[in-house]
Amino acid sequence: MKSRSPVASPLNSLTPMGQELLRRREFLDRTVTGLSAVALTSLLDGERLLASESAEIEIEQTRPHAPRTGHYPAKAKRVLVIFCAGACSQLETYDFKPELIKRDGQPLVGGPAVTFQGPSGDLARPQYAFQPHGESGKMVSDMIPHLAGLVDDIAFVHSLTSKSNTHGPAENFLSTGFVLDGFPSMGAWATYALGTENQELPAFVAIPDPRGVPQASVNNWGPGFLPAVFQGTPFSSTQPIQNLRPPAYISPSADHAARQLLQTLNREHLERFPGDSELAARIASYELAAKMQLSVPSISDLSTETAGTLRMYGADSPNETKASFARNCLLARRLLESGVRFVQLFNGAYASAGALNWDGHEKLREQYDVHGEILDQPAAALFRDLKQRGLLDDTLVVWCTEFGRMPMFQKGAAGRDHNPQGFTAWLGGAGIKPGVSYGATDELGFKAVENVLSVHDLHATILHLLGLDHTNLTFRHNGIDRRLTDVHGHVIQEILA
Amino acid sequence: MVSGTLSTSKMVDADETEYLRDVKPLLARKCYGCHGAIRQEAELRLDTVQWMQHGGDSGPAINRKDAGASLLLERVTAEEYAGRMPPEGEPLTEKQVSLLRQWLDSGAKAPADEAPQADPLTHWAFQPLPAENVPPQVRDAKHPVDAFIRKNLTELGISPAPQASALTLIRRMFLDLHGLPPTLDELDYWSRKLELCEPPADDADGLRLHERAVQELIDYLLASPRYGERHAQSWLDMIRYADTHGFEVNTPRPHAWPYRDYVIRAINEDKPYDQFIVEQLAGDTIGQPTATGFLVAAAVLLPGQIGKDDESIRLARQDALDEIIVGTSGSLLGLTVGCARCHDHKFDPISQADYYGMQAFFAGVEYGDREISDLGGKLESQETANSEKSTLVFAGVFRSPDETYVLSRGNPEQRLERMGPRIPESLGSVELAIGSDEHARRVALAQWIASPENPLTSRVMVNRIWQSHFGTGLVETPSDFGLNGATPSHPELLDWLAAEFIRCNWSVKQLRRLILTSHTYQQSSRFDEAARIQDSDGRLLWRYPSRRLEAEAIRDSVLQVTGRLNLTMGGPGFDFFTSRGGLSGFPPLDTFGENELRRMIYSHKVRMESVPVFGAFDCPDAGQATPTRSRSTTAIQALNLFNSPFMNDQAVVLAERIIAEIGSDPDRQVELSFRQTLGRAPTATESSQVLQIVEEHGLSTLCRVLLNSNEFLFLP
Repeated sequence: MKSRSPVASPLNSLTPMGQELLRRREFLDRTVTGLSAVALTSLLDGERLLASESAEIEIEQTRPHAPRTGHYPAKAKRVLVIFCAGACSQLETYDFKPELIKRDGQPLVGGPAVTFQGPSGDLARPQYAFQPHGESGKMVSDMIPHLAGLVDDIAFVHSLTSKSNTHGPAENFLSTGFVLDGFPSMGAWATYALGTENQELPAFVAIPDPRGVPQASVNNWGPGFLPAVFQGTPFSSTQPIQNLRPPAYISPSADHAARQLLQTLNREHLERFPGDSELAARIASYELAAKMQLSVPSISDLSTETAGTLRMYGADSPNETKASFARNCLLARRLLESGVRFVQLFNGAYASAGALNWDGHEKLREQYDVHGEILDQPAAALFRDLKQRGLLDDTLVVWCTEFGRMPMFQKGAAGRDHNPQGFTAWLGGAGIKPGVSYGATDELGFKAVENVLSVHDLHATILHLLGLDHTNLTFRHNGIDRRLTDVHGHVIQEILA
Repeated sequence: MVSGTLSTSKMVDADETEYLRDVKPLLARKCYGCHGAIRQEAELRLDTVQWMQHGGDSGPAINRKDAGASLLLERVTAEEYAGRMPPEGEPLTEKQVSLLRQWLDSGAKAPADEAPQADPLTHWAFQPLPAENVPPQVRDAKHPVDAFIRKNLTELGISPAPQASALTLIRRMFLDLHGLPPTLDELDYWSRKLELCEPPADDADGLRLHERAVQELIDYLLASPRYGERHAQSWLDMIRYADTHGFEVNTPRPHAWPYRDYVIRAINEDKPYDQFIVEQLAGDTIGQPTATGFLVAAAVLLPGQIGKDDESIRLARQDALDEIIVGTSGSLLGLTVGCARCHDHKFDPISQADYYGMQAFFAGVEYGDREISDLGGKLESQETANSEKSTLVFAGVFRSPDETYVLSRGNPEQRLERMGPRIPESLGSVELAIGSDEHARRVALAQWIASPENPLTSRVMVNRIWQSHFGTGLVETPSDFGLNGATPSHPELLDWLAAEFIRCNWSVKQLRRLILTSHTYQQSSRFDEAARIQDSDGRLLWRYPSRRLEAEAIRDSVLQVTGRLNLTMGGPGFDFFTSRGGLSGFPPLDTFGENELRRMIYSHKVRMESVPVFGAFDCPDAGQATPTRSRSTTAIQALNLFNSPFMNDQAVVLAERIIAEIGSDPDRQVELSFRQTLGRAPTATESSQVLQIVEEHGLSTLCRVLLNSNEFLFLP
């Protein structure tokens, strides 16, 4: 990795043209001393050839996913993001508001008359009872009894805010740091910076929910303007990687012969252009593809898991959706265990009036009974399994959703509207202080009021734990050094161990 | 050229070294945006030590006698609420502060002749094209383009590569101009023609004949409709064209395609570029309303997706207008005006007021469908794939302009002063009254951009044209010609081409002819180790930069060699997915009829969704503008190309085609397979390697390999 000025060498702080001039100069002089290079730097600066920012990562063309070191030692080697699509209510999960119980059925004086979907109704009590859990006594709703058992291992942030109250842009924001389409996802940034440890598996895997893709779909794992090699590869226990095998009519021996011949012809071709690393990279990519043909089916083969493990995850559940999500959770563990850098596990699909995801506008309780059952046991088992295998020591787990929900019901309905002004996420594992809660919404869970955080802060923290300074991880696009955190973001120090 | 004075390195003090190496770049990055040449908040500049000492409203920034009491140090270490600098973004790290302190402690030394940051208005791209700019006199370089390129090479003692072989050149030109390899007939015809006049090195007559044959080939290629289909793609990439609305619901935008066809037609007709600009910004005023699809090509939230509350509605409107400003200024002017939405631009002389001045030009533009009756019959005259005539076109819909205000930090809830339409002050003085007519606004903007006097327009476009032929522009950042953009590798050449472009009445074809007739374009792509040491990324063009084809060219070329490509032009896009838009995902289509085998530019482009098999080859997602495609190499690409049913089916089709043509003789089958895919006969070694495999596993196995080979997939 190139480091950015002020510690960069003069060469690294130059624009490509500046570097070119310097290389030319090196050739002529062959003895560029530190001193004359400095003089040159100053000269180029005068000509405005100095790049103002230049922290781009150097990518080895034949091994774009070679492991790379970050800006400083990392606490987390890999990241698991559990993303509850559709805006999972903070008020029915982790943000306990006794005042809301008291004021159930009353209007919110001074509150908004109209919210995202239309007119507001009255305040509505949390739709589940809450109990204290663990040594920390954290109050968690009865919707998620298994997840409630994790409270002593994780850190809650209750004061997140989003820039958008619309699912798609807000999912973009959570996954890419921008509400617009077309920016690189956090997994893409992480693998661009760090590569991955297992060269035979994709560096970044997105596991869509068995019910369907999330609202912002591929944006959540897209490469944006980063090279396509850093995009997430979507697959799940129910949906394998496309084109992993040739069509059935091709015999294994013909397949083998074709592969051999291709590499032979490509190598002979490369001999005519010995310096062309792009040609060499394509040869390497076919070798990696051949390895993936073997490694991906074996990682997806859950038959090697014990019956006890399958039961713990709920993979034996008669509830088909729950069993499929449980198998996705198992797949996530196996990927992380094998050194995959970034896994994004989705719970919930696209907009469907709350039927397939957490978007409970109309009949929240009824729908959350269904969704809670699917999420709870498998996700909690995944966390516990990571812990018991020692993987939590260097794996960061993040549970999140694109925004929260209103303390009122919508007028004439039994559900809550979108609320980007205060919602909850939790983090656990590598580098996280366990058993704490940070930030708070007001007494009704309407707006974040204490230690207000933005999604940028969450991103800054994730990158920080990966050993990356979020202000220093950049990619030049259309004249701008883009970052995951745009021009914002502070590491949430208070939840770090 | 860097002058020799550098090697007589003047004595540089160690502390000065530290300043130049560590401190100055830090200040440049953190402070110059507000305290440098471009802007002097609180009357303070920090770009030289003299300026620091001179100080600003609060007095001198540095104190040489008592370093610890320097205001500079005090402000960068202050708490955020106590006026810490920089006010936005991360504060300086401890390490950075200690660097600063160390340098101050040792007396804040700097070279005596330290130059201030240059005035941004003197930036090269903002200067008029030079009146006098003749190609340099260089031996053996008659062609003006070669003269400019050769000058730099000669200075470094690098020789350009020799002329590419006729076969290579023909293949290169077909792939470059059409995105398709030549058919066997075309290849035979043109190679006979070129090889017949392949000149002996010293024969001037022969040389002219050869030149004339190449020119004929170029004209043939530019006259074909395949040319517009190929080169419209980069324009569509740049303005993020798609056939869906984007964002969460990503519903179909079923009437977007007439704009796509407009671009292809304009390129094929060689519509003068200045006219092309005017039509896209204000075509509704001159009978070309379809062209205004340009303005509204970006993703947009539909009314149902925007919150019902007023704040959400105002924000969505600002976002929609922002896309128009960003798209227009980036694509036509190479300016990152969008950076000034929330604050003054940090690098370029573009203020926040400039941004809202630009916004006012578009304040009456809405995204939407408009009636075809506006077209005045233009569309009816065009051939479309299906006979059904569309009555709607997705393009600009124009109404009485909103009032425009400067918005504090870009927040629609915090209005500052009202703005009328005007261009950025640093670029000129086009300004309209606050209440001016909607049409007049866009016409005025279009006329300013399309003017030969505009220093950016021509430079930006010739650079894009250059990039399309060499992979990299003379300016590596094609949509950023501002101060933070890259410096041109050959500034005189860029200026010369820009002037030529205007002189030949903004004819894009003429400019391409000029470039393609140069030796620089026609040289081989051979590697020269000595040259590579001096110029590893080949920016000086001592070889032709061979590179992997784009997704569209790969797919279309496969279909071309298998004989399955359907060349029907225009009309609604064909599908790659079972869905044309919406929420529930996009499963790939797995059977392909005639319609699905048209050129890829005619596919129904689903925003954000990666096309099966070929999308992995860095296809832009139409989210953000893509003026330069990345060119990555991935295992997923290899899996898709090697294993997908589509590719394997095409290998079978190709094998059947060859067998039908040539019969059962394996030698002849092998020969034709190579010629059909790679445009050349196999070498003796290759034949021997291949024959056994064909005999054992059938010809389709060889075809599968050839369609996956680097030679097939690379522009030679």
